[in-house]
Amino acid sequence: MTPTPLPTTGRGKPRGRLTLAAAAGLSALVLVAACSGPPRAGAEGAFTLSAGTPAAKGELDSFRWATYAEPSTLDYISAFDYPQNTILSNVCESLMRWTPQLTLAPGLAEKASNPEPTTWVYDLRPGVHFHDGSVMTADDVVYSFGRQMNPDNGAAWAQVFQNVRSVSSTGLLQVTVRLAKPDSQFPQYMATAAGVVASAKGVRAAGKDYGTSGGLDCTGPYTLGTWSKGQSIDLERFDGYWGTKARTRKVTFTFLTDPSARVNAMLTGEVDGGYLIPTESYDRLRNSGAGTLYFGEGLSTVNVNVTSMKGALGDVRVRRALSLALDRSGFVRTGLGGVGSVTGSLTTRAAWAAAPEAVRASAFDGLTPTAQDLRQATALVKEAGATGKTVTVATSSIGQDVSLLATAVQAAGARIGLDVRLRTIAPNAFSALFTDPKAREGIDMFPETYYDSITDPLDLLSNFRTGAYQNYAGYSDKAYDDLVDQAAAVYDPARRTAVEAQLQKTASDRLLWIPVAEWPTSVFLNKRLTGAPTTIAYMYYPWAADVGAAR
Amino acid sequence: MNFLRFAARRLAEMAATLLGASFVIFGAMYLAPGNPASFLLSGRSASPDALKAINDQYHLDDPFAVQYLRWLGRVLQGDFGRSITYRTDVSRLLADRLPSTLLLVAMALVLVVVVGLLLGRLGAVRGGAADATILVTTTFAVGTPSFVAAVLLQGLFAVKLGWFPTSGTGDGLGDMLWHLTLPAVALALYLIGMLARVTRAAMLEILTQEHVTVARSRGMTERQVISRHVFRNALGTVLTTGGLIVSTLLICTVLVESAFSVGGIGQLLELSTTTKDFPTVQAISLIMVGLFMTVNLVVDLLHPLVDPRVTLGSRRSAV
Repeated sequence: MTPTPLPTTGRGKPRGRLTLAAAAGLSALVLVAACSGPPRAGAEGAFTLSAGTPAAKGELDSFRWATYAEPSTLDYISAFDYPQNTILSNVCESLMRWTPQLTLAPGLAEKASNPEPTTWVYDLRPGVHFHDGSVMTADDVVYSFGRQMNPDNGAAWAQVFQNVRSVSSTGLLQVTVRLAKPDSQFPQYMATAAGVVASAKGVRAAGKDYGTSGGLDCTGPYTLGTWSKGQSIDLERFDGYWGTKARTRKVTFTFLTDPSARVNAMLTGEVDGGYLIPTESYDRLRNSGAGTLYFGEGLSTVNVNVTSMKGALGDVRVRRALSLALDRSGFVRTGLGGVGSVTGSLTTRAAWAAAPEAVRASAFDGLTPTAQDLRQATALVKEAGATGKTVTVATSSIGQDVSLLATAVQAAGARIGLDVRLRTIAPNAFSALFTDPKAREGIDMFPETYYDSITDPLDLLSNFRTGAYQNYAGYSDKAYDDLVDQAAAVYDPARRTAVEAQLQKTASDRLLWIPVAEWPTSVFLNKRLTGAPTTIAYMYYPWAADVGAAR
Repeated sequence: MNFLRFAARRLAEMAATLLGASFVIFGAMYLAPGNPASFLLSGRSASPDALKAINDQYHLDDPFAVQYLRWLGRVLQGDFGRSITYRTDVSRLLADRLPSTLLLVAMALVLVVVVGLLLGRLGAVRGGAADATILVTTTFAVGTPSFVAAVLLQGLFAVKLGWFPTSGTGDGLGDMLWHLTLPAVALALYLIGMLARVTRAAMLEILTQEHVTVARSRGMTERQVISRHVFRNALGTVLTTGGLIVSTLLICTVLVESAFSVGGIGQLLELSTTTKDFPTVQAISLIMVGLFMTVNLVVDLLHPLVDPRVTLGSRRSAV
């Protein structure tokens, strides 16, 4: 429901959001198997997915980490984007925890129980200290969630709380959340920044400056140190941490907005590592000998999103024809630097980790074909009477994934009798396509990389519900809406994913977005350090605490 | 014209221009697609309540004229408002970042003036092979955009040779100078080439003039002739490009700061434009226009000192 289109605030240049920012996930099943997943070979080349990096061997005094942008604020209610979350996850903790394997585990709550469908009771871990030394109580949770729900705050996570009727402390260390109706997504979102608990006293004292200066007053293994605006943020190890102490005393995040500057800093050792490696730099880093580039299985898919059903794309046969004519493996080779796999599914395989084998098989059965079939595609266009009709695709120099995918769509159209026109949009304005219907006027489709914030396919599939924010094409189908509501109300993963498999089938048949590829996440570590997770868990898991000396 | 009256007139002109610029800047941001509230919520389905709260807080639903006048009134009191994306006072954001940008522009300016004048003078006086070399080098410099120069310098001096850091601003003056050297060179390169060529051309033109011949015939040494008559006269021409140089530096700093990840106001401007952070963009744009005009004013006031033929307020000085 609140899927984040990749980070936008980044900057005008390639990276982050629209760019194939990586978001990786790994199903628990695959993870347990080994440290190294199977190499994916194919037309797009070979790459290896790692479940993690070797465990740290010792302590480090400090390490430096690259992020592609400076966080605008570190207030947890606004933390929706890569740079904020990569840092914040080490300072502020949530009721639940997303593990490096992308499963749900207890966090600040020792136990989550669900006595009735509309009630969630969280029993808090005793003896947890905030960074100012005070002890966490249920009142802090009530206060922290209250900030998310207060409409005056315009919280990025407000939607997570849409079904919440009340949050109350039912004991010194117990919080009860009452819902207006059952909501299967809510307990999962408690592992994201939506579930962060900050000290009520600390937040009140900081007032309107909370998140932009001073401390964050949370419970994580690191405290917020010096923030040199425009340059870097230091985190200092928190000695009063309730869990395993961090292996590194100080972590410095440097904001390196330019992709080549970021990679150069990794090559020269000015920074020790970073997530979200620019695709065009994979080879440089791999061949440098400066360290190791890892990939992890992703929760990200690259799609061509349909934004208007008014033109030729209003006919599903035309959408199907474009999908059939698309050279997906060519795109993976050039647009993703060979690291990715073609897919006919809007959701990643990892998002189905909680589904029984049979359900997963049915979810991926008979989806959008990925092989090119120009003859059938041409016939479909002819049958729809769309030969020679115009389709406008937005493109931008924001990242080679965007421009190359738009070009691939144009090439596909040309071969099947469609007149696909590219409309180039300035990088700065490209983000407006996601947020502003006016900016989408006259555009039939655009490339978008999408990642899930939780390990649940509904995160993406609910986008096609009537009136949903990212339902760009204005798709509306009562039966689909009912299924979304049904899945949202079922807590049992097996039963829920069965409904979601039906949703996936419908979205696939209608081709509301054209799925193109799965895109893994990437992390670079130089020779000094190891221990960082390779999955998108770094958004909400205190990953920096695991990083330590490689030798 | 008396100096005070001249200065007062120019200040009044500056104020009027700033006012006009503020209107254009405000209007341009207003007309561009996208809404800061939606960037703030960044694609998440905002409840109507949340959207309304943000719109109320920043008065985004008010008519254009009301928004503009409210903003102008506050700016006149020195309050640039609160950044929408950074949720902090714009004046504080600027105070954090202005020093790096000013230092970077100052370093580049020194490089441009010293190296540009030196090369121009050398080319005009020496002629021959030296002149040819300088012509070729400056052609190359003028043809290299600052962001290309940034990539080249980074690749050679930071990654290959490891003499300088690849990016960042550094702490403390010494460290900052070291960090900002490559960005300053990238920023200055184009203007060094341009200034060298302007200086060279101006000097060559003056060299053929009568008073130079007269001075020579009076038995002055060539060195004296060049310094007192040729170079000094050429400086006037060069000075009139001062405004152009500074404005180019201010514009290009946006690209160079991004390429080297220098956390200055150029980089902040780029980011704020992307996110439609009205208050920040408006403040930075106004400051840039103000800096540009201040430099022009200083050039105008200095001009008569360098070139005695120019008087205050004459047509020539009002470039």
